[in-house]
Amino acid sequence: MSIKAQTLIEVSEISKSYGDREAVKNLSFSVAEGTVLGLLGANGAGKTTIVNMLTTLTSIDTGHASICGYDVSSQPYEIRQLIGLAGQFAAIDEKLTARENLKLFGRLNKISGRNLNARIDDLLQRFRMADFADQIAGTCSGGQRRRLDVVSALIAKPATLFLDEPTTGLDPRSRADIWEVIEDLADEGTSVLLTTQYLHEADRLADEIVLIDHGMIVASGTPDELKRELNRDVLEIHLDSDVAFRSAVRLVNDQPDIGTDENAMTIRIPLSNGAVGSLALLRRLDDAGVTIRDFQVRRPTLDDVFLAFTDA
Amino acid sequence: MAGKMNSSTTIDRLDAPQVISPNVLTHLKWAMQDTVTITWRDMVRTVRQPEMLMFAVIMGVVFLLLFNYVFGGVIGAGAGVNYIQYVVPGVLVITALNGAQQTGTGLASDLSEGVTNRFMSLPMSQVAVIAGRTIADSIRNILGLLLVVLIGVLMGFRFESFSSAVLTVLLPVGIGYAFSWLGAALAARLRNPETLGMLSMFWLFPLMLASSAFAPTESMPRWLQGFAEYQPISTATNAARAWSDGSPARTDSLLTLAWVAGILAVCVPLSMHLYRKST
Ligand SMILES: Nc1ncnc2c1ncn2[C@@H]1O[C@H](COP(=O)(O)OP(=O)(O)OP(=O)(O)O)[C@@H](O)[C@H]1O
Ligand SMILES: [Mg+2]
Repeated sequence: MSIKAQTLIEVSEISKSYGDREAVKNLSFSVAEGTVLGLLGANGAGKTTIVNMLTTLTSIDTGHASICGYDVSSQPYEIRQLIGLAGQFAAIDEKLTARENLKLFGRLNKISGRNLNARIDDLLQRFRMADFADQIAGTCSGGQRRRLDVVSALIAKPATLFLDEPTTGLDPRSRADIWEVIEDLADEGTSVLLTTQYLHEADRLADEIVLIDHGMIVASGTPDELKRELNRDVLEIHLDSDVAFRSAVRLVNDQPDIGTDENAMTIRIPLSNGAVGSLALLRRLDDAGVTIRDFQVRRPTLDDVFLAFTDA
Repeated sequence: MAGKMNSSTTIDRLDAPQVISPNVLTHLKWAMQDTVTITWRDMVRTVRQPEMLMFAVIMGVVFLLLFNYVFGGVIGAGAGVNYIQYVVPGVLVITALNGAQQTGTGLASDLSEGVTNRFMSLPMSQVAVIAGRTIADSIRNILGLLLVVLIGVLMGFRFESFSSAVLTVLLPVGIGYAFSWLGAALAARLRNPETLGMLSMFWLFPLMLASSAFAPTESMPRWLQGFAEYQPISTATNAARAWSDGSPARTDSLLTLAWVAGILAVCVPLSMHLYRKST
């Protein structure tokens, strides 16, 4: 590996609209060799649109993106030799076996003969796919199919790998398997762009996290940097009546980044000094005679993160 | 955090990827290689789903039996010919067109399964995705037609010579090949196998009945006759019918080739355009 890590993926102020809807707005980021970038966002945030633009599936409206120095918009055939893609929905041939799928995608990548067979055997063994290598993909389990889908993206040893929610719908065991695959690849120098809705997944895998909401970057940084912001416990209070809900909101309104849900009569308050901080707040409500139906102190979820960043 | 884009970045990874900038020749080479690969892939799928071949054959055989034993007496007497000799070429053309429908349904199911998304991300020729499928479907069509011919022979059908047999089978396959591309264009637009199946009912049946496939067009009303005589099913049937009897059918063969060329000239670029837009 080179001494100084190179920037392999460079994205500069890209935008994309579908009709009136701006799916991605003026987004910029970069990914260095051998690092994992986690794109974190809720449904509809624009993650898939970003991946599709960078992998030449969708055109970029404005802005520039390059991979290994090649321009994504004007050099699609060069880009396609540099990327591996496992999209949000499995893109494999359901009627072929796992091995035949790898053979198909290998040949289309212009690898053939003994090189290809050796590569396939290597991948099947390394990613523990031997038990279902000769099973028709359509009959494999969801986790096995997903693994085949991700491994299919590796057939040509791409310099950069794009994984759109690679672990959604997997059990913990299969998820851990995919995580291991990704970590191994990054160690070998592959740049990985990974999208996820799970904070802990980004935390575990990503060297850098980009948090997006409505097509825009709302926060970015290393997991440690973000965690300092995000890792506040959350006090969640459930009220019994509209009246109680309204007076409770008035009483705790001085707290930063508070979130309220009127229909569920729920208040969420990020705590700056851990679970202990909840005592004073609960006492405040109790003293004022507000009846609390239920409360809990919990770890922040993606929702809390978004509330914190979008309300700021 | 965004750096300035630098298009002249050089990469010094130890295993630097070998990136080639394809020129016209590379694209041509890719198109051929990838067509072979996709044909292989679709043949494997065909072998795994033999019912696709069987349905096409069974439909052909049902038409043979139905028309020969139900209408054969009436139509045959009217046309003054041995009806089985008359109807086999027509049934071959219909069977080929019916088999060609599977190009569209196959492509639509590729589009809905998402595998075309991966194709689009690979350094490959996108024409090959459809071209390979049309070739695989034509190979399947040839097998199906041979089986229908076999049943026809058992029912008394005869070729004049071996070369006439080859032409009698190849002309329907050719017109089927052209319709494969039409199906691909529709599939890339509609994307849904069910809608596609419904739609083909609307044009395939009228086209089939208003043709010379099962009965002479002379008995049709004048306004219909002109269309019925020169539409592709009829020209292909007339040509195949003449060849099977050993008489050269230059005009009808040329008309059929013109149809094939015309349909391909429109549908190849159209299906590629729609396919590119669909992902
Ligand atoms: N082909 C399209 N046509 C119209 N709108 C689209 C299209 N693709 C995406 N969008 C819109 O763009 C926005 C971003 O969608 P995108 O699929 O990128 O989100 P996402 O972050 O991947 O969401 P999810 O987590 O649900 O996969 C959404 O509002 C979506 O409705
Ligand atoms: Mg998505």
